[in-house]
Amino acid sequence: MADIQNANPTILNASQLPTRHLKQVAVRFGPEAKYSRLVFNRNGPWSENMSGDSSEDSDTDELACEPIDEQEIYDLISPISDPEHPVSLGQLSVVNLPDIHIEPPPSSGMSDPNKLVQVIVDVTPTINHCSLATVIGLGVRVRLEQALPPNYRVHVRMKDGTHAQDDQVSKQLADKERVCAALENETLKATLNKMLETCA
Amino acid sequence: MESRDQLDQVTPPRGYGQVPHRSTTCRDLRSAAEVASLDMAPTADAPSAAVISLSPLEPFKPDLYERAWASTPHPRLPLLATAHAKSVTVFSLTNFSAHSTLTGGHTRSVRSVAWRPATPPNSLSLVTASFDSTAGLWRWEGSANEHEVKSTTRDSHNHHGDDTSDEDASDWEFTLVLEGHDSEIKSVAFSPSGQFLATCSRDKSIWIWEDVGATEADDEWETVTVLKEHDGDVKAVAWCPDTNRKEPKGQYSSDCLASASYDNTVRIWREDRDGDWVCVAVLEGHDGTVWGLQWEPKPEQGRYPRLMTFSADATIRVWTMQDDELDQQGQRTPRHAPGSQFMSGFGGIPNTMRASIKEEWHCSAVLPKVHTQQIYAVSWSEMTGLVASTSSDGIIAVYREENVQAPEGEAEAAIELDGDVAPPDNHSPTPIAKTWKVVGLVNNAHGPYEVNHVIWCKRFDAGVAKKGEEEMLVSTGDDGVVRPWQISSPSSSQTSSS
Repeated sequence: MADIQNANPTILNASQLPTRHLKQVAVRFGPEAKYSRLVFNRNGPWSENMSGDSSEDSDTDELACEPIDEQEIYDLISPISDPEHPVSLGQLSVVNLPDIHIEPPPSSGMSDPNKLVQVIVDVTPTINHCSLATVIGLGVRVRLEQALPPNYRVHVRMKDGTHAQDDQVSKQLADKERVCAALENETLKATLNKMLETCA
Repeated sequence: MESRDQLDQVTPPRGYGQVPHRSTTCRDLRSAAEVASLDMAPTADAPSAAVISLSPLEPFKPDLYERAWASTPHPRLPLLATAHAKSVTVFSLTNFSAHSTLTGGHTRSVRSVAWRPATPPNSLSLVTASFDSTAGLWRWEGSANEHEVKSTTRDSHNHHGDDTSDEDASDWEFTLVLEGHDSEIKSVAFSPSGQFLATCSRDKSIWIWEDVGATEADDEWETVTVLKEHDGDVKAVAWCPDTNRKEPKGQYSSDCLASASYDNTVRIWREDRDGDWVCVAVLEGHDGTVWGLQWEPKPEQGRYPRLMTFSADATIRVWTMQDDELDQQGQRTPRHAPGSQFMSGFGGIPNTMRASIKEEWHCSAVLPKVHTQQIYAVSWSEMTGLVASTSSDGIIAVYREENVQAPEGEAEAAIELDGDVAPPDNHSPTPIAKTWKVVGLVNNAHGPYEVNHVIWCKRFDAGVAKKGEEEMLVSTGDDGVVRPWQISSPSSSQTSSS
C-alpha cells in the first residue's frame, strides 16, 4: 500500500482487548452446513416422526441451543487484519464490544433456528476520511456471513459521526447485490482474503 | 419463553423447515391445502382477511446448491429460467425438473433473465444480465420435441459457475453479446412488441437497444439511447404492458419504460416524436433503494396501468398517473394541459434544449406492512390481480385489492362468486374506493434463508386439471432452492371436495 492514510494509529495491547473469562466453544453452522442442520434440527422434518422422545431432544439441544452472544461476534471479527496495518481491527478499536448488538438479545435464550436474529455492528474507522472504510466493513460482513448460521442477518454500519460519508458506506454495505458483485472482483477479493487470513 | 404452540399459531402454513425436503411420494395436493388452510385459522397475529393459503410443493430439481437470484417463466411455454452464479437453469413447468442449462457465456454472476417475446414456435430466445457488465442474447433452435425434458445427471455439488460444462449446454447458443455498460448489469427487459430491449447497471445508466435485424433470426441490435439521470445504481427496468396504453398521440409514442434506483427514486421514460427518450416523471417517496417495479398487468377499462414499486425501506407503493384520475364530477383532467401552452413557446428550440412535458404521477396507495426487512421482489398477477411479495425476512405475503365502500353483503357475495379471482373489469366510470388487504402469508418460506424472488406462474404440472389455467407462486432463495407454492382459498377447496 503506497499511500498510508493513517500513519500513526492507536494500537491496543492484546491483553487490553475484551475477553470472556471462561471461554466457551460454541458449535457454529455456516450456510454450507444446510443439510446437517436439517438432520439435526430440533424442529426439522425428521423430528416429527419421533414425537415425544425427550431424551433425543436434550441431545440435540446441545448442538442447536447455545445462543451466540456479543462477545462471540466480537471474537469472530476482532482478529481481522486492517488492510493498511499489520494489526487487527480489535487492536485498532475499529470494532468494539459495546458497538455490537444482537436482536433479540441472546439472554432471551435460543428459539427456533428459523427465527431471524439481527446482528448490528457499528464500525469505527481509524480516521475520518478513511477510504478503506468500505473494505473494512465488507470484511466484517463477509466474516460474519461465513461464520454465522443462515438465520442471522448481518448489518454493518459506520458509527455515527466517525466517517465523512457514513450513510453512503452503510448503504453500500447493506446492499446484497453490491456485496455479491464486490466479492467477484479479484483485486478486492484478494485484499479481503488477506484481511481474513488472521481469523482462526 | 415461547412455546411450540405459540410458534405454530404465528406461523400459519408450515414452512419449508417443517416439510420433508426430499420426500419420494407425491403429496395429496388437496389435503395438503386443507391442512394449510386450517393452520390459517385467524389468530391475534394473523391477518384477519387471510383467505388464501400457500402450500409448498416439491422444489424444482436439481437443487442449485448456491444463491439463486430470480426465476422467470416463459410468456407462453411451460418453461422457467432461473439465474444463479454464472449460469441459467431452465426448468420444465410440466414436471419441475431441469430442461437445459446456459453456461459459459459470462465471467461473473447472471443477475436476471428475460425471455424474448414473440419468437417462432420452434425456437427459444432469452437475454441474460450479468455482473460482468454485458448482456447476452441466447438462442435454442430445437427440434420438434424440443420441450421434452432431458434428465440431467450433472453433479451440482461441483458446479460453482465454472465454465466447465460447455458440451453439456446442449442446444443453447450464445449468439450476441451486448457491450457498453461500465459495471454490473442488474436487470433486462423487452418492450411488449420485442422491438426494444432495456438494460440497466450500477454505472447509473439505462441503455435502450433496438432490434434492427432484417428477420427474426437476424440478431442485430443497435443502441438507441443511453439514459443517465439516476444518481445511483439502476436496479431494475420494466416496460409498461400494452393493455390500455395510450395510443400514440401528441408528444410521445406508446412505449413507456420505468426504472428503479439505488437513489431511492423511480423514473418514467418515453420516446418523443423525434425519437428522443426523455424522463417524463420522477417518483419520489421511498426511503431506501427501490429494488424493483411491477406494472399493473390488467388495468381497469380506460385506466392507464398503475405502477407498483418495492424498496429496501420495507414498503410497497402504488403509483397512479394523474391523467387517469377522474375528478369529482367524473371528468377527465386534460392531459398535458399546462405543458401544451408551455410547448408553443418553445417550438423553435432544438430538442435538447426544450423542457420535456412532464406527467403527473402520485402515490395512490401503500400496501399493508408485512415485511420487516428489504423487499426484494413483488409480482402482480394478470390472471387474478393478486400481488405477492418477498423479502430478506423470508416471508412471502399475498395481497388483494378490495372495495371498501360497497355494502357488506355485496362484498361477501363477490368474494364467494369469484373465489380468489379479482373483481371483474369495472364497466361503470364511478370511482370506487379500494384498499389492499393481506390475504395470505408464509413465514420462513426458505427456512432461515433470504428469499430473493417471487413470481406468479401458470401451472402445467399433473397437479392441475386444466393446464395453463391455474396459477402458482414460484420463490427463489439464497439456499439455491426454487420452490413452487400451491395457492388455494377455503371456498375453492370445499367446492372440489363436494
